[in-house]
Amino acid sequence: MPSSHPSSDLILHRLSSSDYEIKLKAIREIKNQIIGNRTKKLSYIKLGAVPSVADALATANSDSDFGSNLIVQSAAVLGSFACGVDQGVRAVLDAGAFPHLIRFLSAADEKVVDAAARSLRMIYQSKLAPKFDFYKEQNMDFLLSLLRSENENLTGLGAGVIIHSCETSDEQNILCQAGSLEKLISGLDGSINQRDASLESLATILKNNPEAVSKFAELQNGRALRSVIELTKDRYSRTRLLACLCLICIKNSSSCHLQDIGIKTKLIYILLELLDDSSQVGEEASFAFSSLVSGKEDLQKLAFEANAIDKFYNHLQNCALHPKRLEGIFLALAELCSKLECCRSKFISLQVLNLLISALTHDEANVRTAACKCLKSVSRSIKNLSAGYFMNERIVIPLVRLLSDLSTSVQVAALGAISNIVVDFTPDKSTFIQCGGIKELVQLTKSMDSSLRLNAVWSLRNMVFLADRMCKEAIFMELTVSSVASLICDSEPSVQEQALGLVCNFVDGCMDCVEFAFAEDGIILDAVGRQLWKFSKMEIGIQGMYVLSNIASGNEFHKEAIMQLLFPQAENGSHSLLSQYLQSNDSRLRTSAAWVIVNLTVPASPGAFDRVVKLRNFGIVSQIKRMISDSCMDVKLRARLAFGQINSFGDS
Amino acid sequence: MSLFWIVIRQLAQIEAMAASKKVITREEWEKKLNNVKIRKEDMNKLVMNFLVTEGFVDAAEKFRKESGTEPDIDLATITDRMAVKKAVQSGNVEDAIEKVNDLNPEILDTNPQLFFHLQQQRLIELIRNGKIEEALEFAQEELAPRGEENQSFLEELERTVALLAFEDVSNCPVGELLDISQRLKTASEVNAAILTSQSHEKIQTS
Repeated sequence: MPSSHPSSDLILHRLSSSDYEIKLKAIREIKNQIIGNRTKKLSYIKLGAVPSVADALATANSDSDFGSNLIVQSAAVLGSFACGVDQGVRAVLDAGAFPHLIRFLSAADEKVVDAAARSLRMIYQSKLAPKFDFYKEQNMDFLLSLLRSENENLTGLGAGVIIHSCETSDEQNILCQAGSLEKLISGLDGSINQRDASLESLATILKNNPEAVSKFAELQNGRALRSVIELTKDRYSRTRLLACLCLICIKNSSSCHLQDIGIKTKLIYILLELLDDSSQVGEEASFAFSSLVSGKEDLQKLAFEANAIDKFYNHLQNCALHPKRLEGIFLALAELCSKLECCRSKFISLQVLNLLISALTHDEANVRTAACKCLKSVSRSIKNLSAGYFMNERIVIPLVRLLSDLSTSVQVAALGAISNIVVDFTPDKSTFIQCGGIKELVQLTKSMDSSLRLNAVWSLRNMVFLADRMCKEAIFMELTVSSVASLICDSEPSVQEQALGLVCNFVDGCMDCVEFAFAEDGIILDAVGRQLWKFSKMEIGIQGMYVLSNIASGNEFHKEAIMQLLFPQAENGSHSLLSQYLQSNDSRLRTSAAWVIVNLTVPASPGAFDRVVKLRNFGIVSQIKRMISDSCMDVKLRARLAFGQINSFGDS
Repeated sequence: MSLFWIVIRQLAQIEAMAASKKVITREEWEKKLNNVKIRKEDMNKLVMNFLVTEGFVDAAEKFRKESGTEPDIDLATITDRMAVKKAVQSGNVEDAIEKVNDLNPEILDTNPQLFFHLQQQRLIELIRNGKIEEALEFAQEELAPRGEENQSFLEELERTVALLAFEDVSNCPVGELLDISQRLKTASEVNAAILTSQSHEKIQTS
């Protein structure tokens, strides 16, 4: 912590002098000390210099020469405090300088206007700047006057305000309707700074807004769009990046613009080339790349053919990488490998996994999260999952450790990767168990954070899939019956769904596994039953039915328990749960219900006949008969099978 | 300088044609080169651009009168920029910093590398003038924080501070830092940064 230097004490003293000459000199000295010097800025902020400078600004007389000079110097100091330093922005705003800076935008002296505009622009680069209200008409008038100005500092400020405050589509539409698109487009022909500001603010207005995009594309017969495309070839890397980002916004919001393969290929190549840039542009290029290819298989394919994975790998091998760069590259790789097996194979063949594993223990949480997301994508490769490629200590140990990471986003991302990795098709999950993975997962199922609970249950569900008896027992013991029951009745529907899926996987398999559902007086089965009656999401009903179906594939006792659940003593008539499911509009629900009936009516079971009689009494049999001509093939086949079994007991 | 790039681009196009595995004789090549038409207006702009960048105000004025070529920037601003360049070239770095901040307070705030190089130059000048105590203090107060703020400066920082370790500075391994060429390098960097900030380069619309 820098202690106050004797000279800075002196300067501060002079700052509060009543002699204007002395004050001006002190302000100028501070200015020259802090510009470019982050450490000094923080030091002076702590010493309380900002309010004094803001006072000088507020009380200066803009009509006099001396006053103008004082304003220019004070504004420069305040702008510098705010430049890239959040504490500075806060201090400047708290000192009440903002309204005065706005006031000076309409001063007669051009130097005063420039100084005020620059400072405001610095402030608006920070999230802490006050949100601009686009809904007020006088505000929009003010903003448009900025955009119309001949003064580059003023147009830059206007663009900066838009970039900072325009968030919703309503705000975007207000800006469009007020003609701001046209003003910003003229900036595309201007100086470097004007072009960059225009590109960034246009992207802000067009993002996720198809209407605005159509309007933009039609302007000047498409010339505006062509200008942006031209700018992707500009000599300045930052301009190329901003032009690409603008085009990506347009492309993602529109189904007809920029959809040809030429522009897609161009964007990919330009962004990959920008990775080589050593400045911040190179960092941001990979994030831009992610937003370009995210969710788009065709773009991922094009990128693959452009050797994107090799290029990213080459960059990763540079060991002195800034954390932001690492994060960007891993996120880009995560997107690239999200859908295409060819990308995942390339990734694995290049041994990028080694670098990924070391990134799992990086100091920065964002890097760890990005590495996990990447691993989640790569581990979607069924080929490699079934080869047991991921289920080894090198990967599992650091991954399990991340389950107790301090950052929630890291935990969630790690869970995402784990839920894929544990779906290996070998029944032996011992590596994972030995690392204490189950304990961690179970711990997370009790978290207050719903996304942690959800992903933890999901991972366990995948782990139990096709697991052997011993593994299932180990997990079941750790989880405890009561917590499974409470997860089934969790406050979040998606957690309920996964919990039911978990139980479904538990009871699938050998006869002993079915017993899981009956542990401790069958509270799990009770919970399942309750959810079947009042589910909020279709998937919950489906999962629940499959639980019943799996249980009904057990012994007599199990089948009778299901009958008891479906047809409680007092009930009569055709409003039974099963009946409702069989009539559902959702074919998946009908299928799952049909499966239950198939398993209940297996002829070889001793009690099958009695069950068939009961089903007939409840009108289920006639329903099944009708379902033989169901529109959905899955339903049809199960209904036919069930009916065939029922028929074998005599006339229906 | 955009005209320069037009020429380069045209040459690159020629090169691209040559790269498609055709064999071209020297005569053909020279003929193609001769066929590259550069308009007189473009050449004039290139010359004007050079004069402006290097700061030859009088020559630029004269050239403007004679050729009718308009400079990209206001010639009056050249004087300010030249004053900064001259200050660095004479080793008056503190003065240069003040002048840059008067011209445009954003330049040094948004160019960490340039700011670092100017601070580095200040240290070099202190060492050159034998003010070792002051140099040590300066290195600690002003340069060390730059290294903390930005790891990529550490290597250059180490090289510069190494000057303090040697008795005979001009003959030590990092002695070239004391060379005038180092001043010129820094001056050139400042010049470029000011030009960029003032640049009203417009795109040629076709």
